[in-house]
Amino acid sequence: MLYRETGQFKTSYANDMVIFPIRQDRIGVYLLLGFAFIVLPLMMAFHVAPFRTDYFLLAILLPFLILSLAAIGVNILVGYCGQISLGSGAFMAIGAYMAYKFGTGISEIGLPPMPIVIAILLGGLSAAFFGVLFGLPSLRIKGLYLAVATLAAQFFFDWVFLRVKWFTNYAPSGSVSAPELKFFGYLIATPVEKYMVALSFLTLFALVAKNLVRGNIGRQWMAIRDMDIAAELMGIRPLVAKLSAFAVSSFIIGIAGALWAFLRLGTWEPLAFDINRSLELLFMVIIGGLGSILGSFLGAAFILMLPIFLTVLPAELGVPITTETVSHLQNVIFGAMICFILIKEPLGFARLWQIGKEKLRMWPFPY
Amino acid sequence: MSATAAINSADTRAVTNEVLLAVENVTLRFGGVTAINGVSFDIRKGEIRAIIGPNGAGKTSMLNCINGFYHPQEGRITYKGETRQRMRPHVAASQGIARTFQNVALFNGMTTLDNIMTGRTLKMSANIFWQMLRLGPALADEIKHREYCEEIIDFLEIEAIRKTPVGRLPYGLQKRVELARALAMQPDLLLLDEPMAGMNLEEKQDMCRFIIDVNKTFGTTIALIEHDMGVVMDLSDRVVVLEYGRKIADGTPDEVKSDQKVIDAYLGVSH
Repeated sequence: MLYRETGQFKTSYANDMVIFPIRQDRIGVYLLLGFAFIVLPLMMAFHVAPFRTDYFLLAILLPFLILSLAAIGVNILVGYCGQISLGSGAFMAIGAYMAYKFGTGISEIGLPPMPIVIAILLGGLSAAFFGVLFGLPSLRIKGLYLAVATLAAQFFFDWVFLRVKWFTNYAPSGSVSAPELKFFGYLIATPVEKYMVALSFLTLFALVAKNLVRGNIGRQWMAIRDMDIAAELMGIRPLVAKLSAFAVSSFIIGIAGALWAFLRLGTWEPLAFDINRSLELLFMVIIGGLGSILGSFLGAAFILMLPIFLTVLPAELGVPITTETVSHLQNVIFGAMICFILIKEPLGFARLWQIGKEKLRMWPFPY
Repeated sequence: MSATAAINSADTRAVTNEVLLAVENVTLRFGGVTAINGVSFDIRKGEIRAIIGPNGAGKTSMLNCINGFYHPQEGRITYKGETRQRMRPHVAASQGIARTFQNVALFNGMTTLDNIMTGRTLKMSANIFWQMLRLGPALADEIKHREYCEEIIDFLEIEAIRKTPVGRLPYGLQKRVELARALAMQPDLLLLDEPMAGMNLEEKQDMCRFIIDVNKTFGTTIALIEHDMGVVMDLSDRVVVLEYGRKIADGTPDEVKSDQKVIDAYLGVSH
């Protein structure tokens, strides 16, 4: 009953084109942002209910924020521009390692250590550069063939970061540790602070991504996705549209990679960004909803939460099974649920959400 | 000129003798198949020009040559006084050639409005950084072009479906949205590939009305492929007839109608 748009009139096109044209949605988003930026940090600071230990924050909330950001990046490429990519893990790795290099300074060219924010952004730019490079095949090949071509990026960079010692600053163990996390002179150390940094990046880039996909360049991406020949005959240049999608997407994925390495892992090896990561991100956008920013969040939440939920549930219910059985069962149920959801709603959670909202407008009447 | 100004201004047609597009001796081959064989004709500024012919005559291939999607092996195409050998489709688009497709080629995942806005792509100038912020030039662009698109939406009477994803629309409306998308490009030359195919009588009448209105109010030159002879004869100023890739007749509807070759091509000849 509360969800009605009656009486909300749009008097200008600018008004009609806002992200959330319905007032209730706007209020909801402001409340959510307020909750995430103010209430949650306070709860964490005072160790209220779920935050008694740092587990919930570090194992669930922080990964959710960072992987949502990565999923938004993947969604721009796969969901909006229709170019299937299996190289997302590699672009995360590029973001992470290049941010590390810029953060610790590149002595060969006399580059001093950069401030951490700039290092992260430069990491994203490096990922964007290689994204464009590995996006070049998309001008000739489509679909599954392109997926295989981007897979090459994944294996190539796995190898590079394992074998080329320059990227790890010649660390004998092959693993690297994040430089000191000083954001604008403020040292980030506690989980709450890490959460705030991740949340700020996510909010900023989610807004940027949304602005892009509803603007001119976003329409070009979708046009290329839906009907590339018609798009070309309307003056859209496939080269520009596809490569810009690769650039923006890899940039965001690269930033997410740098955040993942610096905030979540601290110390990492190339294994953290292997093919499994790429697949996981692809599953997130497919299940969440291709071509939807909201879907990126929902998919990330689902893929992250479900395994944890499946692990915790038997123990909570007091079912006497071994941890080994649990982890096997988890894979089975996880796979089955993905199949089930994709059969029931191929357009993902975002579509379910949309249907729910449409029903809510009429509620309690069916139409 | 804005759409409203165009609609309010002269309601008379301005057919001139000035040649907008000239096709000379164009030959197009796919391997051993000659789709178009030495065809020449011209399209004058402001006229409605029909291209007709039996199935497989090379009509759609002809349109594809004109907007740069195919590159003919021989012959010349002169558009706005400029002769070209090879041209990329997006260059043709930027020079004011728009088209619709025989099988509707809309962007199915997007709304009607977004589809039409896509037609304005070439006219938008804000760079990607402004678009990220959606402020300044980017927002100004969006609003300015939204206004233009709304005028076209009014013109084609599709206000009610502007926020519906086009995949959900019935076929007749999809055809209309496709016309709207082409019009949003403010074309000088509009190529319509079977705009009436698969429509019922009423939808056909609507579409005819829109085609005449577009030609009148915007002064757009139209080249039209159509199989409904009633429509062709009523709408067009001149008709060119193709058969097996060759031109067999060219002239006013009346001339073409009484041409023996055309009658033979359509009705067949007894051997």
